[in-house]
Amino acid sequence: MLLALTSIILLTLDLQGSSATSNVRSVFGTVFSPIEDVVRVVTRPVSNAWYGITHYDDIKSENRLLREKIAQQEGAAVAAAASVRLSQELLALNGLPTLAGINSVTAQVIGESPSNFSTTVEINRGSESGIRVGMPVLNAAGLVGRITQVFTDRALVMLISDPEYALSIKVVNPPETTTATTVPGEDIGTKVTVAPTTTTTTTTPVVVSTIPGFTPGSTTIPSSPSGVTSLTVPVSGILAVRETGILEGQGPQYLPTVRFISTDPRFGAIQIGASIVSAGGSTSLAPPDIVVGTVSRVVPRLGTAGPILEIELVTDLTNLSFLRVLLYQPITERGTP
Amino acid sequence: MNRLLVVFSSRWTRLVLVALVLLGLQTTLFNQLRPFGVMVPLMLLFSVSAGTVYGSEVGAITGLVVGAMYDCVLATPFGLASLVFGMVGYIAGFLPLFVREPTWWSRALIIAAVSAVGEILFPVALKIVGIDGWLDLHALWIAAVVALLTGALAPLFIPLSRWTLHEAVRT
Repeated sequence: MLLALTSIILLTLDLQGSSATSNVRSVFGTVFSPIEDVVRVVTRPVSNAWYGITHYDDIKSENRLLREKIAQQEGAAVAAAASVRLSQELLALNGLPTLAGINSVTAQVIGESPSNFSTTVEINRGSESGIRVGMPVLNAAGLVGRITQVFTDRALVMLISDPEYALSIKVVNPPETTTATTVPGEDIGTKVTVAPTTTTTTTTPVVVSTIPGFTPGSTTIPSSPSGVTSLTVPVSGILAVRETGILEGQGPQYLPTVRFISTDPRFGAIQIGASIVSAGGSTSLAPPDIVVGTVSRVVPRLGTAGPILEIELVTDLTNLSFLRVLLYQPITERGTP
Repeated sequence: MNRLLVVFSSRWTRLVLVALVLLGLQTTLFNQLRPFGVMVPLMLLFSVSAGTVYGSEVGAITGLVVGAMYDCVLATPFGLASLVFGMVGYIAGFLPLFVREPTWWSRALIIAAVSAVGEILFPVALKIVGIDGWLDLHALWIAAVVALLTGALAPLFIPLSRWTLHEAVRT
């Protein structure tokens, strides 16, 4: 009974946010870290042998697939880089925040959660690198999770799939048109297609502007080293429509879901494959426009509750190695200097 | 000096040292080897083994100590693992009530069953403290696999817990 009470007192202290338990964890982490390193080194041959036995065929087929994918992606990456650069220039011109303007720290994953009931990974950077609780964590593909515990030289990242994870997001229905950036000096055959190619191209409506010198449907940006000087911007009628909701993890076995999507007639039916990006905002822990995933299933609900969306994440959470922690804190979380 | 030696040679000092090594194995090797996608809960297994070998009281104390160490590396609320491990260590100590002269295999069966109960109790405890989403059919699958794995490893852990927690005979 006494032992049970001790545990309950510890639980209560931790749930009340007492610093005593986090201090105990921090001290224990310092003591335990060298032991863990030694055990890791000693047991590495065993774990390598295990992987060799159980994953050999998978790795071979995955390797073949990846080679094919790399070949496909190389061309697309060049085009994407140009588009990203143009987007950042436009955002900067208009004084809008971009991810490129946020400092970040690159960290390596050094361990997974040693439990069947928690989805966290441990990274080898901590508070000495400027990392704080709540900061968003990304990899090359998109959002991975957020920092949930920070120690001096390590931190724990709660993955998006964790049932405790929640984030304000935007659903971006793809516009039903095809827009293109034109690079001077290049022939038509090298035009870069930005929007989905599966949708049918519609005729752009004729819009007359009264602003002198402004032509709807195109804009000019300052010259850049890539030589791109003009960008076709769709008129408002064919811009992607956005709607906000809350993304919630459902555990590692299930896809994350999005709730609280309002049924706005202007937004229309949510399309399978619609992009999910972070919404940002003064209270959100993540800045806007971090790629999260795509809609894989829409579950309609009666009444005003709005549909539930199942999200296919762009990141492979089972295979994380290097992560980027954005040193971003919302305005409401920033301490006064 | 003698007092210091007594402290160092006590069963509880040995428990902490052995638990540190087990925790190291849990967070490295056994965190990666996941048969059927399920991690073998070494810390839980050790607590249950201690209960079956030395009875409820020692099982509960072992569970509390081992669970508290495990809590230090988990992201779940502090005290949750120590509460669950303490409970299963205590439950495992009731073995003599059911089996008069336990053999290694009857202990292994009890360890497998109690470990499965412990693995189910963990998401139950999470739900009680307000962390939802883990108590579902998949938790039953995890408990079943844990029973299988801990039953297989029990013959190793019974002598380990016996050696760790044996009381030195004072002359």
